[in-house]
Amino acid sequence: MSSRILVVEDDERIRSSMRLALEGEGYDVDEAANGEEALEQFAEHPADVALIDLMLPGMDGFECCRALRRQSAVPIIIVTARADTHDVVAGLEAGADDYVTKPFVTKELGARIRALLRRVRPVDEEPTILAFGDLELVPEEGVLRHKDGTEVHCTKTEFRLLCELASSPSKVLSREQLLDRVWGYDYFGDGRLVDVHIRRLRTKIEPDAALPRHILTVRGMGYKLVP
Amino acid sequence: MTFALGALVLSVSMGAISFFTTRHYLVIDREHTAIHEAALNRTYVVQHVAAGTTIDQTLTTVTPHSAPHSSSFLEEQGKHGVVWYERTFRVTPQTAIPASLRAMVIGRHTAASQTYVSQGDPRIAVGLPLPSIHGAYFEVFTIADLGHTLRVLALALFAAGVVTTVLGAALGRWASGRSLRPLTGVSRVAVAIAGGELDTRLVSAAGDPDLAALTSSFNRMVDQLQERIEREARFTSDVSHELRSPLTTLAASLEVLEAQAGSLSGPGRRALELLSADVRRFQRMVGDLLEISRSDSGSAEVSLEEVDPGELVRHAVAAAYRVLPADIPVPRVEVDPGVNGTHLWVDKRRFERVISNLLENASLYGGGATAVRVAPGGEPDGRAPSIRVSVEDAGPGLPPSERARIFERFYRGHAAFQRGAGTGTGLGLALVAEHVRLQGGKVWADEADGGGARFTIELPGQPADTDDEPAGQVGSA
Repeated sequence: MSSRILVVEDDERIRSSMRLALEGEGYDVDEAANGEEALEQFAEHPADVALIDLMLPGMDGFECCRALRRQSAVPIIIVTARADTHDVVAGLEAGADDYVTKPFVTKELGARIRALLRRVRPVDEEPTILAFGDLELVPEEGVLRHKDGTEVHCTKTEFRLLCELASSPSKVLSREQLLDRVWGYDYFGDGRLVDVHIRRLRTKIEPDAALPRHILTVRGMGYKLVP
Repeated sequence: MTFALGALVLSVSMGAISFFTTRHYLVIDREHTAIHEAALNRTYVVQHVAAGTTIDQTLTTVTPHSAPHSSSFLEEQGKHGVVWYERTFRVTPQTAIPASLRAMVIGRHTAASQTYVSQGDPRIAVGLPLPSIHGAYFEVFTIADLGHTLRVLALALFAAGVVTTVLGAALGRWASGRSLRPLTGVSRVAVAIAGGELDTRLVSAAGDPDLAALTSSFNRMVDQLQERIEREARFTSDVSHELRSPLTTLAASLEVLEAQAGSLSGPGRRALELLSADVRRFQRMVGDLLEISRSDSGSAEVSLEEVDPGELVRHAVAAAYRVLPADIPVPRVEVDPGVNGTHLWVDKRRFERVISNLLENASLYGGGATAVRVAPGGEPDGRAPSIRVSVEDAGPGLPPSERARIFERFYRGHAAFQRGAGTGTGLGLALVAEHVRLQGGKVWADEADGGGARFTIELPGQPADTDDEPAGQVGSA
């Protein structure tokens, strides 16, 4: 079964051309011209990836992200006018997993979508359950839970990032390594992706996100997970 | 300084004028008094001598013993020669009266007076001829008190001069600071504006109408300038933004067509190739224009990360050659061991664009880059060492006249007639300069050892393992 992409874009021509291009890459495409329509569409046919333009009439792209994130862990790619802006960080903080800048090349967009749809990297000779603190991570099932069984909700990308950190406990992983393994970026990936996702993870798993005990920043080097 | 000098000259000359004028008038006044007194005494002497009193007696009564300020003398050309009458019998005519005065009075029978200094005391001698006895009456007045007065006056004037000079210097400093402050302000603001801080304005000067007029017209000029610059920047930015939507449609549709190029006829495929090449170029040009307009409007954001320079450059070169034509040979990357231990704080996205634009430039105009070198640069202000990255090619090189202009937007030098010209965006090197500037570095072009072109960027480095975190670091996680 092919993956379903929800394209949220107010420009009809762009929407149509993206549908053609993405269908050419083998995806099923749902279209929405604004945020409200996108939420309705998603409720009807949950997509595997949502592509949201930040500049939307009415409910803007950030709000659309947040609304979608409240009901789903679906990977979200935001489409932004420029990379060197706070919009990127704001979009990521609203729950997006990645971003592309307009005008984009469909091949590049396809690569981003594929990276987000990848399953958690299978790691040989690893225990099926990664544990740290009072948390358990089950890569096979895509579940993060407390030892008492209560589940911690996180997005697929957050989960994959946590798996990467947890499968090399106490080892420092650089931003570049994390960008490569989680997002499929090369050396020039945007480090802000990692930073914002780490921030989001901390608010979910750390007792005090401001004084993290598990996910530590190693300045100038990267991040490490301390059990 | 000038003011202090002026005050000094002024106070010295005023002091000197005051002193000499005062002294002149005081002396003249004393002379008049002396002449007057001597004339009275002479009349007295003449009357008493005519009445039969002896000259000695007469002189004694003329100047009482107690009067310290004058002494009288009388010289008579008697039958037996010159007779000198003097009350105290202590002085001779030669020592008591200046010779020139005696000659004048005795020799020419003229009344005269003379101011002179004898034994350290200033004196006025008055000589009056006495035709009745063929002699002359002399009276010498000491004016030591006058000398004292003048010394006090000189001292007072000197003190006044010193005070005036000091005050003058202080006043000068204050006044020049005050009168030049607006100009200092104007020049500081002009420098700031020229440096791109278009929001800078002069503070309006209340109280000085001339200055207020200058200030307001200066500010009005900058307002207009700013408005114009912003309008132009906004226009570029708006145009580029507007172009992006149709471009996105174009690019996406083109990719659909490319995927189906196999089903097109030969001419149709060729047309599609031309179309896609130019749509890509157009896309890059719009991207570059947006980038440059953000830089112009000051809204560009730089996110600096700490990186190893060698690793950074190797990755940037590799990334650039993933999109450059496959027939361009990949240059060797030489990392000088001297850069070990120095890290760079760069915006990686911008740095990658710098390297890829330089490599693209080399491939368009220099037959491809031959070497990319990473080496330590100069150490500005003895601060952290800097790092130089240079891209060399073996092409025809750049004439010196083009080396600075090459970084201008859409500049086409002599290389415009070469193969490959016209396929660039015309903004590549301009963007290199902007990206480097935004990261606190500089860029220049010169000649490579083999005669080709060499572009060098220099970025401020930082010793690795330092605890100082510069501002603008990405992510506070």
